[in-house]
Amino acid sequence: MPVPEVVSDTQSADTAAVGAGLDALDTPTEARKPVLRRVLATWLPPLIALVLFISVWQAVWASAIYPEYQLPAPLAVWQEFAGTVVDGSIWGIVWVSLHRAVLGFLTSVVVATPLGLLVAKVPVVRAAIGPLLAGMQSLPSVAWVPAAVLWFGLTDTTIYFVVLLGAIPSIANGLVSGIDQVPPILPRVGQVMGAGRIDSARLILLPAALPGYIAGCKQGWAFSWRSLMAAEIIATSPQLGIGLGAYLKQGSDFNSMPGVIAAIFLILLVGVGVELLAFRPLERRVLRARGLATAP
Amino acid sequence: MTATLDRHVGTQHRAAVDLQGVGKVFGRGTSAVTALTEVDLRVQPGEFVVLLGASGCGKTTLLNLVAGLDQPTAGAVTVDSGRPAVMFQEPALLPWLDAGRNVELPLRLAGVGRAARRARAAELLDLVRLGGLARKRPHELSGGMRQRVALARALAATSSGTDAEGGLLLMDEPFAALDAITRDFLQGELQRIWQATGAAVLFVTHDVREAVRLGQRVVLLSSRPGTVVREWDLAAAGTDREELSEEITGRLREVISTHARA
Repeated sequence: MPVPEVVSDTQSADTAAVGAGLDALDTPTEARKPVLRRVLATWLPPLIALVLFISVWQAVWASAIYPEYQLPAPLAVWQEFAGTVVDGSIWGIVWVSLHRAVLGFLTSVVVATPLGLLVAKVPVVRAAIGPLLAGMQSLPSVAWVPAAVLWFGLTDTTIYFVVLLGAIPSIANGLVSGIDQVPPILPRVGQVMGAGRIDSARLILLPAALPGYIAGCKQGWAFSWRSLMAAEIIATSPQLGIGLGAYLKQGSDFNSMPGVIAAIFLILLVGVGVELLAFRPLERRVLRARGLATAP
Repeated sequence: MTATLDRHVGTQHRAAVDLQGVGKVFGRGTSAVTALTEVDLRVQPGEFVVLLGASGCGKTTLLNLVAGLDQPTAGAVTVDSGRPAVMFQEPALLPWLDAGRNVELPLRLAGVGRAARRARAAELLDLVRLGGLARKRPHELSGGMRQRVALARALAATSSGTDAEGGLLLMDEPFAALDAITRDFLQGELQRIWQATGAAVLFVTHDVREAVRLGQRVVLLSSRPGTVVREWDLAAAGTDREELSEEITGRLREVISTHARA
């Protein structure tokens, strides 16, 4: 077989230099801001917004347009909140709700993941329950509470039932859209390398769908937290213990506006806290590894 | 210069790719579209063959047939060198894996052990002049570097077979999406790597200059349906590539013009 002219040494050294030059010029550069500036840019704006909000609140309260039982002073709410911290009841209340939400969320993940895979990969299943699953997301989970109370009574089962129905559709839908958005070239790459169905799913399809799946889980957490609060506010009973929802209901029953606002504040705090501490870092890590993260 | 349609050189050993009377029809009845008809093509082990044709000549269909992604409706496709490796126009790297792990992927699928595949990936990255960049993610690399990682991955795929001597590389317009300088550089690199590995290459392009620069043999395909119009042997002594490039361009224009009249 005739071989084309062999490239001489100097020529190949030249090529190497050109290649190195091209690489140096074309490589995308990633500039990272210094830590202090990043922290300031992240925390300062919300802090200022919070201070402004409380100032306006204080001003409106001081003007005494609304009666005290409708609009308490920021300080009164703080004292109510500090009181629960001092007597230690806050930890019990948060724990009751948080462990239910986490347990409900984890169960939802276990159920929703195979469900989402089935809907995404089996056309018949998608045609049958795909629209239903998408529609379930727009059904407020409060709507399930009366039915659940009749079926299961005022028990933990009622609460978990509502949480699961709230979270499962979000997580499953997230996985489905994650899989739908995988560029078709990636499964083809697996195919030409001889990946079987299982290898292809494990090494290519699932990792490729991960960003959508995590977004679904994040939404699923928000939904399970919301559903849990709805269930706890409506289904109150001594044997269910006092979670954040029941604490809020208590405040309302006792006509204690500081209690109500403190409860709302706590519900918000826990929900946002879990998102910021668990989901945000996870999502950012996954997106940054793929060069998809936009924020610093 | 020689221009032969029937080429039976080297029939004493088996060809890397052998297509005989291959046809491919998509669809059925009145809506059927003939993509390829009566295609005869042999690629010898270690040979660099360029398929040249305008849009609609069924280049990609042909590669899919050779890659085993699709079945012909007529004729026979024989591939000798185990599983051929495919390189696409886009690098198609997995964005969550770094360059090294992308190269390791075909070896992982073939069941090669961790240490062995890491060593092999490092070797191949060195070959494409990306040694030391194994821990970089695709988004941290330039377009040309990504395509070289894809080339290293394809080479890993060809060599993961058992007795694949040199292997077979199918390339579907791999440099079409790159800028001119990078393309020129990568064409040179591909030549160097092809000589270093001894792989047979079936390279698809619509660029005559690229075809003439890279190929030992250039095969011109007609369009709709695609079939072999003519072959040029560039490996023969005394080939003036410049002159040939003009001749092939002329012939390609003729082929394209016939579609206007039809």
